[in-house]
Amino acid sequence: MSKRVLVVDDSVFMRDIIKDIFAAGGFSVVGEAGNGVEAVEKYKELKPDLVTMDLVMPYRNGIDATREILRGDGKALVVMCSALGQETMVMEAIEAGAVDFIVKPPRAEDVLAVVKKVLGEG
Amino acid sequence: MAAQWDTSRYLALFVSEATEHLDALGKELVRLEGDVTGEAIDSLFRHAHSVKGMAGSMGYEATTTLGHRLEDLLDRVRTSPNRFDRQVADLVLQAVDALSAHVKAAAAGEPFPDASALTQQLETVASSMRPGTTPIPFFPPEAPPLVQSAPSTEPQLPPRWLVTLRVATTSAQPGVRGFLAYKRLSSLGNLFRCTPPLDEVKSGKLTNGTFSVELETTENEAAVQKTVSQVADVELVSLTRVTAPPPTAAPAEEKPAEPEARALGQEPQRTVRVRTELLDQFLDLAGELLLATAGVREVGRGLDEEPRAQLNGSVDRLHALVRGLHDKVMEARMTPVSVITERLPRAARDIARRRGREIELIIAGSEVLLDRAIVDELNDPVLHLLRNAIDHGVEPPEERRMRGKPPRGTVKLSVRRVSDRVLLEVEDDGRGMDVERLKAVAVERGLITLEQAKDLTEKEALLLSAAPGLSTASTVTDISGRGVGMDAVKRAVEAVGGTLEITSRRGLGTTFRLSLPLTVAMVNLLLVSVGDDVYGLPIAKVAGVVETSRSRLSHSQNVPVLQFGASVVPARELSAVLEVPGRPHDVEALSPFVVVETDEGRVALAVDGLLGQEEVVLKALARPLDQVKGLAGVTVLGNGRPVFILDVAKLEHPARVAAGGEA
Repeated sequence: MSKRVLVVDDSVFMRDIIKDIFAAGGFSVVGEAGNGVEAVEKYKELKPDLVTMDLVMPYRNGIDATREILRGDGKALVVMCSALGQETMVMEAIEAGAVDFIVKPPRAEDVLAVVKKVLGEG
Repeated sequence: MAAQWDTSRYLALFVSEATEHLDALGKELVRLEGDVTGEAIDSLFRHAHSVKGMAGSMGYEATTTLGHRLEDLLDRVRTSPNRFDRQVADLVLQAVDALSAHVKAAAAGEPFPDASALTQQLETVASSMRPGTTPIPFFPPEAPPLVQSAPSTEPQLPPRWLVTLRVATTSAQPGVRGFLAYKRLSSLGNLFRCTPPLDEVKSGKLTNGTFSVELETTENEAAVQKTVSQVADVELVSLTRVTAPPPTAAPAEEKPAEPEARALGQEPQRTVRVRTELLDQFLDLAGELLLATAGVREVGRGLDEEPRAQLNGSVDRLHALVRGLHDKVMEARMTPVSVITERLPRAARDIARRRGREIELIIAGSEVLLDRAIVDELNDPVLHLLRNAIDHGVEPPEERRMRGKPPRGTVKLSVRRVSDRVLLEVEDDGRGMDVERLKAVAVERGLITLEQAKDLTEKEALLLSAAPGLSTASTVTDISGRGVGMDAVKRAVEAVGGTLEITSRRGLGTTFRLSLPLTVAMVNLLLVSVGDDVYGLPIAKVAGVVETSRSRLSHSQNVPVLQFGASVVPARELSAVLEVPGRPHDVEALSPFVVVETDEGRVALAVDGLLGQEEVVLKALARPLDQVKGLAGVTVLGNGRPVFILDVAKLEHPARVAAGGEA
């Protein structure tokens, strides 16, 4: 069964790019969220195998959302999506428990390589 | 026992100094096992020597003899360090314990416990170590197997690996990649000697993308390989077992009192020792400066717009500088958690031995820094959690075997920083806690009603073990899987602004998680007015605010109660609690009720007004104000007005106040 992914980003444009990458890579995107609050709710509801999480979002940023998700499920796999120049924030997210990160703009092969590694398939 | 002359006025000094020496001796000894250097033995010897000398001056004969024999034994070890083995170490520890017992007895004015057998044993062993003799077994075969009973707490460290990693040069953010790999490895055990230092790894400035770190772990090679393989763009260059203890940079820098200096392989930094009181004073002064700055800004409010703008510009700059100074002072107060954890292996070993448990104690993250004041407060609670984990959490080996668990239990103490909090967890793989049983006992003891018990979440129910009425009940010790004194742990943690959380799975183990602030000195207050006075309520203790009129309160057993969410909360006038005059009020008029968490449950406090929220520097109260019940501290607002901060946790719960209904 293909792995189930939740895509979190406040930009619809970016979500579409990421969704397409996952679809092409044989993953199934089971949900998307446009902010951190929604991300936490969707995670609880969908229990995906993996989450890609934008850093900067309205209402609740990606780091807080990651922390909250992990509080509810210590085994959650959250991969951060960051732009160049956000290194410090990514490291904070890693401290908070994010398992890996991908860099925007996302390139299909990088994203899939990271995700497969995280899921232990790489 | 006591000498003819009056030694009583030296007693306190003797007790404190001897205790210090004995503590140090114990600590250094545990650290020593496995790595015996002449210098380290010298230090042990000096401690024993000092204690002996002091005991002699006090006229404590038995103590002096015991100290003397210990000194002899250590002297022998000094001349032939290869004779120092676990049995000798055990014996030295026993002597330290016996001496400590004497010191305690002296302090309490009680008769000293008999130590003649031990004294004799020390002598026998010491004489067997005379140069030229071959070692003889120190313990007759029928003696209790001291060594086997807790082999796991043996402070011999888990194997250490030198892990060399390469971050792909094509990686977009090599610094973060390297850091991620580092974090992943840290989940396996303790990391040391990151080369180049972690900050450089994080900055991504690596030659060929390569860095190395030493990993102390109980995991095997394959686990390390697997962990690294799960990090994209990072490759495991080599994994070699570090056989000998790592050579120290220079012996002089390896001060026993600063084990953390070795961690993470940072360059030894130049340091000076500063008295801790001086640091407290710095902090006080920096806090005063912050308040004074706010005072200047307040003065500006009375000025015309133009001079005010000018003044504010300067005040902003001043505020930033003072804030910077304050932060640096806070930083200087940061102390590694190792101050607490370094004595735990010894404690774990003792507890496990006494209780016939086999324990592996894993400590991770002891390099994490916390405000010294918090570290000081955590000492006892952490020890207590460890004791509980071993004593009540981990099952005896036979029972574990029967349950299909490895006979040796694992207790893991891990510390990590998560943004502006520090999480300290004590986790065991023991029998777990019985939630239903806890609830039942809590109901039985009248702490909660049957209905309340039904509504409790599992987390809330587990916290019952830290309720004052429960955790002190010795009968609960075994049925709940948790012992006495959890209420003290919870109180201590909350006193420094932390929270306690318990998770437990029946049969699988329990985790105690302390979430701690990095510093204690700043506190977020909700400012409320009562009559003409302003008081601060720590936001951390405020559950919410409800606006309603007094006429709409319901009553339960003569106590006015407020509907709050799904529950009802007893309501009181804050003015009545503080015994100060409040404003006269119309029972129909809307009033704010602040719902706060006291030790005994929630209480709604009726106040005259809500004035806002403010982050303030908490100052301890000086005498005689520190004697006033209900006050946690004081702060000065920008307008120069002193504000008392209420000790919300200790507020008297209306359930215990004579039913009279003041609200």
